[in-house]
Amino acid sequence: MSLDYRHLDWKLITAALVLSLIGILLIYSAQYDSLRGESHQFYLKQGIWLLGALFVFAVVIHLPLRVYDFLAYLFYAGALVMLALVLVVGHSKYGAARWFAFGPVHITPSEVAKLALLIALSRFLAYTKLAKESIRRLFFSAVMTVIPVMLIIRQPDLGTSMVFVAMLFSLWFWSGISPLYLLLIVSPLISLLAAFHWITWVVYLAILIGLLLLIKPRAIFGIVTLVANLAFGIITPFFWNRLADYQKLRIITFLDPGRDPRGAGYQIIQSKIAIGSGGILGKGYLGGSQSQLHFLPERHTDFIFSVLGEEFGLWGTLFVVAIFGFIFYRGIMIASRCRSRFASYMAWGALTILVFQFFVNVGMTFGLTPVTGLPLPFLSYGGTSLMLSWTLVGFLVLADYYWTEY
Amino acid sequence: MTALTTHKDTRVKIAGALVILLLLIIAAGLFYHQVLRHDKYLEESENNRIRISPIIPKRGLIYDRHREVIADNRVSFTVSIVPFERVPDITTDRLAQLLDMDTAMINKRARSNFVSNYIPSPIKRGLGMDVISILEEQQQYYPGVAYSVESVRRYEQGISAEAFIGHVGEVSPEDIKSERRKGYRAGSMVGKEGIEKAYDQSLRGLEGTDYLEISAKGQITGSYAAKEKIPAVPGSDIVLTIDKRLQRYIAESFDSLEYSGAVVAMDPRNGEILGLGSFPGFDPNIFSGVIPPAIWQTIISDTNHPLLNRPIAGLYPPGSTAKLIAAGAALEMGIITEHTTFKPCLGKMRFGDRLFGCWDLGGHGKLDVYGAIEQSCDIYFYQVGQLLGVDSWGEYASACGFGRETGIDIPGELKGIVPGSDYYDKLYGPRGWTHFLVLNLAIGQGEYTITPLQLAQFYCGLANNGVVYRPHLLKEVLRPDGIVEQIDPVVAFTLPFSRHTLEVLHTSLELVVQGEHGTARSLRNKQYTIAGKTGTAQNPHGNEHSWFVAYAPSDNPRIVVVTLVENAGHGSEVAAPITGRIIKEYLGDLRTVETHAGGENTVADES
Repeated sequence: MSLDYRHLDWKLITAALVLSLIGILLIYSAQYDSLRGESHQFYLKQGIWLLGALFVFAVVIHLPLRVYDFLAYLFYAGALVMLALVLVVGHSKYGAARWFAFGPVHITPSEVAKLALLIALSRFLAYTKLAKESIRRLFFSAVMTVIPVMLIIRQPDLGTSMVFVAMLFSLWFWSGISPLYLLLIVSPLISLLAAFHWITWVVYLAILIGLLLLIKPRAIFGIVTLVANLAFGIITPFFWNRLADYQKLRIITFLDPGRDPRGAGYQIIQSKIAIGSGGILGKGYLGGSQSQLHFLPERHTDFIFSVLGEEFGLWGTLFVVAIFGFIFYRGIMIASRCRSRFASYMAWGALTILVFQFFVNVGMTFGLTPVTGLPLPFLSYGGTSLMLSWTLVGFLVLADYYWTEY
Repeated sequence: MTALTTHKDTRVKIAGALVILLLLIIAAGLFYHQVLRHDKYLEESENNRIRISPIIPKRGLIYDRHREVIADNRVSFTVSIVPFERVPDITTDRLAQLLDMDTAMINKRARSNFVSNYIPSPIKRGLGMDVISILEEQQQYYPGVAYSVESVRRYEQGISAEAFIGHVGEVSPEDIKSERRKGYRAGSMVGKEGIEKAYDQSLRGLEGTDYLEISAKGQITGSYAAKEKIPAVPGSDIVLTIDKRLQRYIAESFDSLEYSGAVVAMDPRNGEILGLGSFPGFDPNIFSGVIPPAIWQTIISDTNHPLLNRPIAGLYPPGSTAKLIAAGAALEMGIITEHTTFKPCLGKMRFGDRLFGCWDLGGHGKLDVYGAIEQSCDIYFYQVGQLLGVDSWGEYASACGFGRETGIDIPGELKGIVPGSDYYDKLYGPRGWTHFLVLNLAIGQGEYTITPLQLAQFYCGLANNGVVYRPHLLKEVLRPDGIVEQIDPVVAFTLPFSRHTLEVLHTSLELVVQGEHGTARSLRNKQYTIAGKTGTAQNPHGNEHSWFVAYAPSDNPRIVVVTLVENAGHGSEVAAPITGRIIKEYLGDLRTVETHAGGENTVADES
């Protein structure tokens, strides 16, 4: 099967390539050693990873859509096995089990599982005969998501688990379920948070009941929702108050590592100083030698955006944000004009992962979102992240190329 | 189309709006930090450095059951180096002189305790005000040197607390790797061994953090305003089941003997450990600072192995104290009744082609089970053992708690061995052994080994109608928020004996002390009756070990005591008198306490 290269979405590919090259530039700076006048070898490795990622991208777009469709569940099952296995025999950093090592090559099953779940959910939602709003349809797709999430939370990796959940909700939304209905599904969790003060909880319950009356879902669904909300709201404060202070703090730190003053909390302070001190024009390339930044851990991976902010200022950050914005715009266009429902879901899921990781990672660098260890697509150092990003671009390009097919 | 679904065009609009909103939020955040707050951040990036100073919480105290202190803290200081505030060589030299260490050692400790460039790496602990006041006065000569208050543990001496209390020390690299989530980091102090390790999470509390601004000259200019100081949460105090007065009594009476050995005192009604001693011991305080090499050398080269925790990790054949297993098993299986007598004891007996002797070569004559236990006749039990066979015996021994951990709440417990056919097949080959080995097992000798704690647990069951509680040392946790967590006793298992069998065994054990021929007649007294059993463990390396296990008062047992004295010969000679004194001390003590508590019906009598 040969592709007509003229009809590929070259604008999208160019945008992704520009981001990847900016990433290498920043990694060089992040690991620059001013005493030796050169950088550590990370940027070279990232260059090699980029070649690998482009190869993966080429393979992805040369396979017909049918192949993804056909292998969806097999791929999904394989990913689950890997996730289970990595808990037992995987390598870890900071006490978290995450990858397999084959010599210098590390395989991160949770990244593979992101793709596998995306394809499997796309297939399920595209072909199931169950009605859009049917509870069974929601239930089956939720189970497909919850299995890998449970395995990943045990690694433990809250950030990656959140990507899976975000993808599920986003695909539900894309399948035509009203956002208000989705809101009802997550409402018990909101109740849990609202219940920390009784006034917020009462106000919240009033809104919830109003929403139920407005949407008028099936009676059973409405009752279950209401009961779950009441239960979460009543039980949570009860358990919470029984915990000792240090136990509370551990839970809060798990949910929001930024509160850990030694680790992530410290990184946030340094990251804010880096970004803020960059100002409008930045301190210039390799000029961001403000001492904190050079002691900021993970500055070439999770905090690469902080390096950008310090050295290239507001113009630099807005430029990168704009390129991401362009990719997101293309993503929405592609997903919405696809005639094949499977391809449309694939594109939509790919878009969701990119948007979610972008928002959580960039927000984290100035303390808006929790420090979860999610890399910035295209820019963060790391082969797996780069290949995942390019595979997602591949899905978008593929969906665009075959948009007329059913 | 219902209210539950949306049209595709609406979806695109909603999604588009959401993405635009997210991008605007990001742009606004960047604008806020990079334009509006730029000056502040620029100043911070140029002028100031931030030091993260851990606030070490008070480690929880350890009390005995009457809330008397066993372990507390002595105020002292820790001197650290902050890697980022580079320490030039001259500072290191100066520091070496001040701390009386060599520079290589300082550099080594700074490296091994490194956590992050901004967090001080501890160099030396347990320092006094003299050193700190020099650092304070001459701050400018010691850039990058930080000090903080960090208490040093202090243990009650002379009570053999080392058998259960453990000690604290710097966390090992392996522990940091495996327990990172518990908040350990390089250089922090954690509980090692014993109670300190088992309940480290409760005792240690939660470290707080102070953010300090350091000027370019390396001096502390104040707290970092943008980040609030996080106070430390003190550790929980814990209350042990140990009775300190009894524990001290045990230690003192054993120390006067000049033998090695172990004592376990337990409350059979709930599994609480009242006293636990291992002899010879050592002073647990030596671990609190840096151990002087000379003292360490003395301890590890001592042939009496003071570091071996005998009550839970010392393995010995139980000797005749184990005859109760064979007796119970035989009664339970119907092999004997309480009236069954065997061939009379003439001091020795032939089994196969070997002659087996009784400890009393004069012979005991014809005995039933009561007499056989009272006089500890080996010949009687050889015959019981022969009828039981290796595997039935083994099943009962296992069901009585031997060959597995008791589950006591401190680490380091050993299981011992209950040999069965499998074990002997492995040891001697499938046909390399005869079933006469069971004769030795029935009298508690041979390959069968136990810990003193297992024996105490077994006799707790005999004293408590067959119900065996898991031995434990923790009684209460006193949380800093004022909540007291009570530890409920847990039933570990029940002995595989019927009520009738238990009664026979109980009466036999009473006869050991009360009977005319009892091997522990010397313990008879007017205030209360003691039930017990002597034992003598064969020891291929020297003199036999002396055992005595007893519970009292025998009609309503409140204490079980196991005493093991290494190389001291017959159980009745050395181990029994100490056990008697320990029981007397406890019940005497208890009597006064309970009378004060409200005139409960006790064994009040003339003293």
